Amino acid sequence: MSGERKLWGLLAEFTSPARLAEACRGVRDAGYSRWDAHTPFPVHGLEAAMGLRRSPVGWFVLGLGLAGAAGGMLLQWWTATTAYPLVISGKPLFSWPAFVPVMFECGVLGGAAGAVLGFLLLARLPQPFHPLFSSERFERFSDDRFFISIEAADPRFDRAATAELLDRLGAQHVEAVETGGAAAAAA
Amino acid sequence: MAVAEIDPHTLDIDPAVTDIDPVEGRPRLVAGAPGFHGVTEAVARPVEWKPPRGWYVVLAISLAALGIFGVAIAWLFWEGVGIWGNNIPVGWGFPIVNFVFWVGIGHAGTLISAVLFLLRQRWRTSINRAAEAMTIFAVMCALVFPGIHVGRPWLAYWMLPLPNQMAMWPQFRSPLMWDVFAVSIYGTVSLLFWYLGLIPDLATLRDRAKTRIRRLAYGLFAIGWRGSHRQWMHYEKAYLLLAGLATPLVLSVHSVVSFDFATSQIPGWHTTIFPPYFVAGAIFSGVAMVVTLMVVCRVAFRLTHLITLLHFDRMAKLMLLTGTLVGYAYATEFFIAWYSGNPFERFAFINRALGPYAWSYWIMVTCNVVVPQLFWFKKLRTYIPVLFVASILINVGMWFERFVIVVTSLHRDFLPSAWGLYAPTTWDILTLIGSFGLFFTMFCLFVRFLPMVAISEVKGVLPEARVHE
Amino acid sequence: MRTDAEPETAHQEVALPAGATEPPRQWGRKLPAVGFGLGAVALGASVPFAGGGPRFYGSYLVAWLFAVSIALGGLFFVLLHHGARAGWSTVVRRLAEHLAATMPLLAVLAVPLALGLEELYPWARPEAAQDELLAAKSAWLDPGFFLARAAAVLGIWSLLAWWFRRRSLAQDASGDPAISRRLKALAAPGLIVFGLTLTVAAFDWIMSLDPHWYSTIFGVYFFAGSVVAVFSTLILLALAARSAVGEVVTAEHFHDLGKLLFAFVVFWAYIAFSQFMLIWYGNIPEETLWYAHRTGPGWEGVTVALAAGHFVLPFFFLLSRAVKRRAATLVAGAVWMLAMHYLDLYWLVMPNLDPHGAHPHALDLTTLVAVVGFGAGAFGLLARRRALVPVRDPRLAESLSFENV
Repeated sequence: MSGERKLWGLLAEFTSPARLAEACRGVRDAGYSRWDAHTPFPVHGLEAAMGLRRSPVGWFVLGLGLAGAAGGMLLQWWTATTAYPLVISGKPLFSWPAFVPVMFECGVLGGAAGAVLGFLLLARLPQPFHPLFSSERFERFSDDRFFISIEAADPRFDRAATAELLDRLGAQHVEAVETGGAAAAAA
Repeated sequence: MAVAEIDPHTLDIDPAVTDIDPVEGRPRLVAGAPGFHGVTEAVARPVEWKPPRGWYVVLAISLAALGIFGVAIAWLFWEGVGIWGNNIPVGWGFPIVNFVFWVGIGHAGTLISAVLFLLRQRWRTSINRAAEAMTIFAVMCALVFPGIHVGRPWLAYWMLPLPNQMAMWPQFRSPLMWDVFAVSIYGTVSLLFWYLGLIPDLATLRDRAKTRIRRLAYGLFAIGWRGSHRQWMHYEKAYLLLAGLATPLVLSVHSVVSFDFATSQIPGWHTTIFPPYFVAGAIFSGVAMVVTLMVVCRVAFRLTHLITLLHFDRMAKLMLLTGTLVGYAYATEFFIAWYSGNPFERFAFINRALGPYAWSYWIMVTCNVVVPQLFWFKKLRTYIPVLFVASILINVGMWFERFVIVVTSLHRDFLPSAWGLYAPTTWDILTLIGSFGLFFTMFCLFVRFLPMVAISEVKGVLPEARVHE
Repeated sequence: MRTDAEPETAHQEVALPAGATEPPRQWGRKLPAVGFGLGAVALGASVPFAGGGPRFYGSYLVAWLFAVSIALGGLFFVLLHHGARAGWSTVVRRLAEHLAATMPLLAVLAVPLALGLEELYPWARPEAAQDELLAAKSAWLDPGFFLARAAAVLGIWSLLAWWFRRRSLAQDASGDPAISRRLKALAAPGLIVFGLTLTVAAFDWIMSLDPHWYSTIFGVYFFAGSVVAVFSTLILLALAARSAVGEVVTAEHFHDLGKLLFAFVVFWAYIAFSQFMLIWYGNIPEETLWYAHRTGPGWEGVTVALAAGHFVLPFFFLLSRAVKRRAATLVAGAVWMLAMHYLDLYWLVMPNLDPHGAHPHALDLTTLVAVVGFGAGAFGLLARRRALVPVRDPRLAESLSFENV
């Protein structure tokens, strides 16, 4: 094994979403900040259990959506009145009713791009390499198991105490995850 | 004061693993209580094992049809648009009918994915992945037609607003330009929505992958997803907002397609109800196509416990609803044609029913208005043979609806001296068949390599997923 | 995507505050007296103008359509709730049932319009016989047939509204789930009848004010406006009902009502724009004249105000999640939308009678107060001695406990 192996954090496994939610409340109340829950599907109410704030993806959508619509209208206005003016069936050069469909579609495109970009940025994806992928048990997060990971970098982290807390909160299995080494890639 | 108490035993269902409606004892969305792992196994299996022999047969036929498509298009490019039946007065024929047909089919995918999501209809989770895929492939088929039908297809890029040395720009007042934007943006947004939904499932396949190639391929597109709830939070918001954007998109895209006709002055075309009427018709034909596909796929891939009769019941009701809306539009158009007192408008409708193309009109009415009435009856809504045949007939009817609209209005409009007839050529028909080849080839590849049910979404609607115990 | 909060088991014990299960003693007690009183006074103030030409009838028609569209929207809400087997809306359904059931009274209030047919509709006047276009549709636009259709349509709506309300009230006593099943079965054909009758009504009562003009989407347009109006009204009523039933109506319900209001505001704009753009694009004088009246110097300002006020402003206002979840802000939006709906109907009707410009008149206010007053009085009578919430509806528990995303 080349490369230094450092403790990245602890990984606790749970068997049901209800137990996970309860455990999350426990971890939140114990004052941890650098931790996360991992589930095969989004579990209802986990934001509250983890004490998280609402996602700001909406602002990306609104901003890029309005920009898209404005851009679409600007493009049509400019091409129709300045760049390449043509009189078509007697309609005015700035035929705004005829420009609404494309403006609308451009707005939707902008909004959709905003949603995807906002998600990728906020979720910090793509991130193909992560210490958690070195754990074999962790593979089941995408199948039927639920996990809590607490990073060693968290100020309240103490290897023994944190492990004991997770155990107390109902974890079926707790393991240490190490960073560095060859095995930490997802693909 | 207590609310009505219902004894679950009289409803004959085990309440412990049940999604019960207090009035009807609604059965579970997923049969057999597979649990989370069971769902993973059921959906991942077809992707990981050798496909059933039938898959190879369907793929072979589809590839053959795709080959026909290639030949037809190559011949078109070589000889020119004259190989088709388009003429004067019917300058638009099969190509635009096929274009509208395919775009219409795509709309059901977005409805099932986005609109049913916003309406909190949890039954959608078993079919939305396949429906969204259907949308993307249908839009691909649709976009081929505008691309190939111009006389000089190598100049098709002129439709895009790209700066060029001729200082020319597209003419945005034309509904055909609106189509370019609407349909391509629809394809893009659908692709983004579909891909977003796929990410967690690609992670599942990545984590189960036994070979390095599979792991790399699925892993590449799973972009390192690790199911973190902090990520799920942003994911869900993005998904919700994309659904919120896709909904007006569904309305707008087929409305824009309808504008191709409604902005004209031709009797039978220039009528204000076209936008919502086309949208209803699109959803109608799209849901029918989903039914046709799912009847086959659920048996072929042993997913009958995930795609159950309950799902068909709901889809049949959707077909009944949208078919009724289409019927409403027929009736309104007919009435207003008379009410307007405009002799050309009145004639257009009489000609549809009694003129040279009356046969196509009556096929349309039978398939679109009469056939869906079967779905008033629950027994028929949940009887597979009826569902399969009816869904095919509905798509036949919807194809003919576009045929009727295009051909009957064009072949006889204002001046009798300009009247004529239209007949498709062999190449028209081969091109139509070929487009089905493209569609089914893509769909075969999809079910072979990607999970055809949204694994994480279905898990989310299982009773075990509930947190409040 | 996510699991909704589900009823835990089929056995449901839900604690409703006393105000919800018992008919409200104090709530809306004065409504019949105030409503009918104001209505009578306002009607009395308006009637002297009745002899002076179409102005009275135009104002009265707008006011009457305003009330009918809300009652009609209520009927749609009830039919849709049952047909779609909706759960969340159970809490507010009773309010919609009462709204729809004001239809018989509104039918009676249509009598002045029947008397003023010639004032309102060009095709009802004797000179219509000389007009070639009107002669072509005289089989349909015949005063006798017209009145028969109006009576039939109002009768059908009244029957549907009355039946659905009656069965719902019966369920308060018996809690019988079979009632819900029956109403669901009836709702689907009910919706079809609703759609057809609404279309006939819109074509007859509004579109034929300009009998040379026509638009196939017009029924859908009137429908869209009515649904916006009824969601706005339900938001107001839900807030008012909270004083009696307390937190039974939660932020979740307001959120959903707000989302639907937003959706239908957008739908209305889509229909309105489609109609306008297609007529503008085709540029056929027969069709464009209707819009020319509304974009000429007299009515232009109203048209712009309608576009801005009925779509642009509420679009951005209702977009916000926070706005929809807080009763105070949502109610402000609802009041605004009702005002815009009135403006929409005004804009549909008045330019036919006065193409040169919008000249608001005291009659507009008095007729509105008259019709709405009587309607509110009827609502008060209907709501009196009845629970404000369908207390033994089997889906009530689902409605009380659901949570939004």
